[in-house]
Amino acid sequence: MTALIILASAVVAFLFFLFFQVWRRYFRPAEVAAAQLIPVDLEAFENLTDPEEVRFLRNHLPPQQFRAIQRTRIHAAKVYVAALSENAGVLVSLGQSARSQPDPEVAAAGVDIVQRAIKLKVWCLFSLLQLNAALLFPARMAPTNGITHRYLLVTYMAANLGAKSAA
Amino acid sequence: MDFQHFIWFYFWIAPHLLLLAVAAFMLRNGLRKGFPVFFSYLIFEFLQFCLLFAVHSYQGVVTPLYAKIDMFCRAGSIAFRFGILQELFESPLADNVPLRRAMARILNLGTAVLVVLALVFVGSLYYSILNDRPFAGYVVIEALNAAQCGVLALVFFWHRFLGLRMSSFAFGIAVGMGLAAGMEPFGQALSVSLPLQYFRIPGLLQMATYHVVVLLWLYFALARERITFDFKAVPLLSVREQAAELGRITHL
Repeated sequence: MTALIILASAVVAFLFFLFFQVWRRYFRPAEVAAAQLIPVDLEAFENLTDPEEVRFLRNHLPPQQFRAIQRTRIHAAKVYVAALSENAGVLVSLGQSARSQPDPEVAAAGVDIVQRAIKLKVWCLFSLLQLNAALLFPARMAPTNGITHRYLLVTYMAANLGAKSAA
Repeated sequence: MDFQHFIWFYFWIAPHLLLLAVAAFMLRNGLRKGFPVFFSYLIFEFLQFCLLFAVHSYQGVVTPLYAKIDMFCRAGSIAFRFGILQELFESPLADNVPLRRAMARILNLGTAVLVVLALVFVGSLYYSILNDRPFAGYVVIEALNAAQCGVLALVFFWHRFLGLRMSSFAFGIAVGMGLAAGMEPFGQALSVSLPLQYFRIPGLLQMATYHVVVLLWLYFALARERITFDFKAVPLLSVREQAAELGRITHL
């Protein structure tokens, strides 16, 4: 009987999870779904993840101070990557809505944006993992800086959507 | 044939016939291309039903042959369901083969961990009450079903993480799979906990759940994708503002 109670509780919890997914998809108020892009200072982010900057700090600071400063920089970079990841999610939604437009050009651009924004989102995930690893070994690992140009590209494509849909 | 038998046969036969209808609508609406594993699963389920029904009609349910075929078919269904979950997980990355492979490896790792956890969980539950259980294989099947619930949750979290809205049919498949995989371990637990005179109730409950699941798949195979998202309401303005700002930065 104990097994039945435990399994029944697990099943109820899982059914509740499924119900929540259905509710989120069909009954959630529309205004909650429309998110805004978070402003990101990419110049500052590039600076934080620039290997030259890291090399300069390593050469001019004592090891202990370098590690402390590098940890602070990595923490800041993590905040930027998290914001970029959030923005990538908004761009995915934007691309999805464009994908369903009747205009074939806008729809094709929407498909492209979705794919690139998903890639950006996955890159952000891997970058966050790498940054967490770099926090543990700040003297050995430098944070990645490959995200910025991907983000720029998707944002420009999304910005061009407006012009295409208006045309 | 009394009413109870009629209901039992109805819940056994009707969902499997409806599976063919789901497959037909998938073909008609061009969904087969997007979900080839799910389509194969529908055909497999129908064929295994035909086989089991034939054996049942010829020999009866309790023969060793029926039990062997049933076990084999359940194993096949579970393998297919893991394939469908992988299909749902990888669907957002359909156009990017390297990324899809990388994420598939991560999913496989997560699946392996979930299977081990489920085996420990289900094994520990049945260890104390079912030492003389005749079909130890069913415990493994229950554990795999429990693991599938975990993988399905991963699929939902994955789409949520990407900010991606599942297609209507993919969502229907996922919810249906969740109901089927979630209720099976419960049905098995019920079957060993209830007195012998109620032995049909867990089976009926599972078959009724599966019937609901197939109706759900049928509905989503028929339903047209309705986009309620307002394209104009999307924050295009803020995107444009940010793009202009980014342009200013990169031209410095």
